[in-house]
Formats: sequence, C-alpha cells, structure tokens
Amino acid sequence: MPEMRLLFRDIDVPGIDRIDVYEQHGGYASLRKAFLEMAPEAVHQEVLASNLRGRGGAGFPTGRKWGFLPKDGRTRYLVCNGDESEPGTCKDQEIIYTNPHLLIEGVVISTYAIGAEDAFIYLRGEFKTGYAILERALAEARAKGYVGDNVLGTGRRVQVTLYLGAGAYICGEETALLESLEGKRGNPRLKPPFPATAGLYDMPTVVNNVETLAAVVRIVEMGGAAYAKLGTERSAGTKLFSVSGNVLRPGNYEVELGKTTLRELLYDIAGGPPEGREFKGVIPGGSSVPFLTPDKFDTPLDYESLQAAGTMLGSGGVIVLDDRACIVKSTLRLMEFYRHESCGKCTPCREGTMWLNQVLQRIEDGQGRPGDLETLADLCDNIDGKTFCPLGDAAIGALASGLKLYHDEYEAHIAKGCCPMGEVVR
Amino acid sequence: MKAENLAKARELLQAFPKKSSALIPILHLVEDEFGYIPKAEVDVVAEIMGTTPAYVEAVLSFYTLFHRQPTGKYLIQVCRGLSCQVNGADELSRFLYEELGVERGGTTADGLYTVEEVECIALCKDAPAVQINLDFYPSMTKEQLKAFLDKAAEEVRSGA
Repeated sequence: MPEMRLLFRDIDVPGIDRIDVYEQHGGYASLRKAFLEMAPEAVHQEVLASNLRGRGGAGFPTGRKWGFLPKDGRTRYLVCNGDESEPGTCKDQEIIYTNPHLLIEGVVISTYAIGAEDAFIYLRGEFKTGYAILERALAEARAKGYVGDNVLGTGRRVQVTLYLGAGAYICGEETALLESLEGKRGNPRLKPPFPATAGLYDMPTVVNNVETLAAVVRIVEMGGAAYAKLGTERSAGTKLFSVSGNVLRPGNYEVELGKTTLRELLYDIAGGPPEGREFKGVIPGGSSVPFLTPDKFDTPLDYESLQAAGTMLGSGGVIVLDDRACIVKSTLRLMEFYRHESCGKCTPCREGTMWLNQVLQRIEDGQGRPGDLETLADLCDNIDGKTFCPLGDAAIGALASGLKLYHDEYEAHIAKGCCPMGEVVR
Repeated sequence: MKAENLAKARELLQAFPKKSSALIPILHLVEDEFGYIPKAEVDVVAEIMGTTPAYVEAVLSFYTLFHRQPTGKYLIQVCRGLSCQVNGADELSRFLYEELGVERGGTTADGLYTVEEVECIALCKDAPAVQINLDFYPSMTKEQLKAFLDKAAEEVRSGA
C-alpha cells in the first residue's frame, strides 16, 4: 500500500504553522467538537473505541492508560512526551516544527478528556527552535480562545506550559521525564506507583507521545470506530515511520498499520537502496530493537507481525544498512550511545553497557580474543530483564540479535584481526 | 547573570505549579548568557532556587547541553547517530578537527568555535546532520561546513 496521510494530511501546506492557515484546513474543528458537543468522558470513549496505541515505542493502548487515573478528586496533569531521542526517530520533530497546532490541538483535547486543566509539553533540549515555534503557536491559540482559562467560552480551563529538557536520552522514559520536569536529575522512578496514580508532583498524570496526541485530533474528527477500521484489529490506525540510513529517499512516511510490508516501505516508498548497493539489514523500531534481515522484508508493518518476526515496531524509526555497513561497527556505535546515556543508577546497565562497549571496541580494532563472542552474549544475558528501567533491554536489542544474525561477521573480525570490510563504512 | 536574566529567573519561579521545576529553565538562561555554567553562577542559581550549590551541580551534571567549560561563539555539534554515521558523519568531524586544529570537544584558541560529536539529534532523515548553536543544518557536506566557517570568520573580521 502507498502512504496514507492522516496526521501528515496537511504537512506540505505552506504556512500550516500559522493558525489561520491551520483553521482553513479544518484545524481546531476537533477541539470545537470536543468542547462544544462532547463531555470529557465521551472523548475518552472515542479514544477507547479507536484502539489507538501509544506511538512513543511501548504501544500501550492510550484509552486504557487514561482509564487508570483514580477518581479521587486530586489535581491531574497531562504531559506530552516530546523528548524524541530514540536513534533513528525524527517523526515528532516534523510534527512540532511543521504543524505545531496539530500537537497543541491534540494536547488540549486530551487534557479536557482526562479531566485535567494543566498540560506540559516536554521537549528535548535540542528542540530549542521547536520550542519557539510552539511558543508562537500557543500565543495564537490563546488569542483565539483555544487555550486559556475559559476555552471557547465553555468555562473550561486548559493551560499549556512548555518545558525544554537539556540533553539526556533517558528522559524519554516517562518517569525519568517527570523527574526532569520537576527540576531533578533524570533518573527513572521505581514502578509501581505508575504515573497514573503518582506522576508529576506526585499527582495523577498521563504521559503521551507527540504522535499519539496528534492522532487524538483525527479520532475526534472521524470517530473512534472509523479510526479503528484503519489498520488491523490489534494494530489500528496509521503510523509514522522515519526511514533513514542507507536508503535512496530517507524521510518520514505515514502508512496504514498492517497493510504495508517493510519491503514496500523500503522500496516503493523510500526508493530502495542507494545506486548499486543492496540492503543488508534493518533496525525497524528505533535503535533499541532487534535487526531484521532481508529475508524478513515481507513482514507487514504492525505491532504483532514485527514481534512474530523477532523484532518490534517500537518508535517506527527504521534504520537501514546496506552492504557497505559493518555490523560490528554499527552495533559498537549503538553501544557507545547506550553507555553514554545510561543514567548509572543500576549496576547491570551502568557496568554492562561499559563492558559491552569495551569488548566490541577491541573486536572492531582487531584485538578480539577467542571467547569474546561468548562474553558479549553472557553480558547481554546479565542485562536482559534485569535492569531498573527499559534502557538496559534497549541497549542489547540490536547487539543480541546481531550476534545471532551476523555471527560470521563478528567471527571474521576476531579470526582476521581486523574489520574484513576495511574502511568501507564511512 | 545580567539583571535582565536575573529578573527572568525570578519570574520562572512562579511559572510552574512547583518552584523546583524552574531549575532547568534557569540553567538554560545561564548557559545562553555565558556559553557555559560558571562556578560563580551555580551559587547564584542555588540562592535563587533556595537550594545548595551541590544540588544544582548534581542536576546540571546530568545533562549534556550544560557545559562546565566555556564554549566558542559557535558551538558546532556533529550528530554521530548510526543513520548519520553511515552517511559520512565521521568525515565531517574529521574535517572540522583538521580545519580548526582542535580535538573532539575542543575550542579554538580564538574562542570562535567548539566542535562536539553528539548523540542522535532527531534529524535522521536529513543525515548527516549538524547543529550549530542548536540551529539545525540538515544533510551537511564538508563544502557547506567550509562555507559556514568562512562566512563566520568574515563576519567576525568585519565586526571587529
């Protein structure tokens, strides 16, 4: 199937970041519908009916997540996760920078739906320009009465506050994000309690990804049942995929879940490999998930099919490697990242990523020793499921699968005492 | 901090449901003004926040965008994410090190440039990506970097 642009419907419209242009293309109609025609619980019901799953990476059903908020009268918060830091993922960035009102509309509707009054949009520190773009868009939305103490004259209050992080991958993990938003080091919290019961400032909190909240706008517009008809039964709707690496037309592409295969995305939509090259492998869900080899390229892009193929849909960050790429160097590069981003709180992650980095480095440098591959596998096993937060499992996703799928390449590095591909990787 | 930023910092204390949330935004003010977080300013921030300098240090040391040493007028950050790496990021870094005579993380003697290699900056579709003072420079080439350096040097010359 070709692209199906739902969230990206107006992404190419010149000036869509301006509120008048956004309104001319149907913008804020969903917000009007929600505030003027629907009770908050009715909006929640539509999101439940839509089967929307969180687009940040974990894929948890959004409507159910909202339903976990206790009905105890305490102040509630909505927090938008705009930390987008998963290597290979740049979809939220395009929404924020190009169509900021879509995000603001989704945030305000969702805040209303969960019975909150205050929303926070947490952006990674590098999105300084995105912060300015959202700040201007928010001012426009306030002037039009879409945000403020009396939204559209309904007496409902929804205020949106922007927050700029300062450079830390782990702050994409929801509890680390909340710590950071409270002005602390971004160490993840012990769960339970989950943010739904004790989140921002210890209050009931929903944390949703940028793409998830943007989808809420379309769900209110078309109705939950119509949205649920898109995609498959368990993977409903459309999803943004960031295709990058060794591919002819890298970009963010939106497709209907389950109706498009990885091969169609890579060849028909993203143009195939660079001239004269062949694909070697793909990390389809951001750098934290296992590799897929070309024999699995006919896998449909949905949560269940990718899991059955041995990997995950994750954030939709599709990193493509062609036959010039050295898998040892690539997994080393990823491990350097996780070592750098480990917060250091728990031992298996802090020590494990350091040792994995060092052993991979010596293999890449031609200093690999017999037994190193067993050491790597053993280190992965000592991290797998044994860390405080998901960063540990994320760190070994590509490596553990790479050791199996590209075993010969690791062996060859050790046997030959060098990278058999020479300086092919630029 | 200059008076204008001190006033902004005090305003930020009221901008969130709890005062503690103001710390990172205030540190951004300091980083923007000085190009790093000077030790003396840690004490100022601690006083504004009503906390200890040690606590402020603990928080700021967690985040890579807060620098402990002065940075150049232009902070050039080359993304080394995997998608950028397989599209030539290492060549861009090497070019900058050779052209400017600095090592990774180093600042030129004239204080004009700092060159860093940074983790994925969410511009994967525009690899290899660079950010300069946090402005995005997508799909960069050595030639484009050279042109930027020449233009910046010319601006400094004509301004001086």
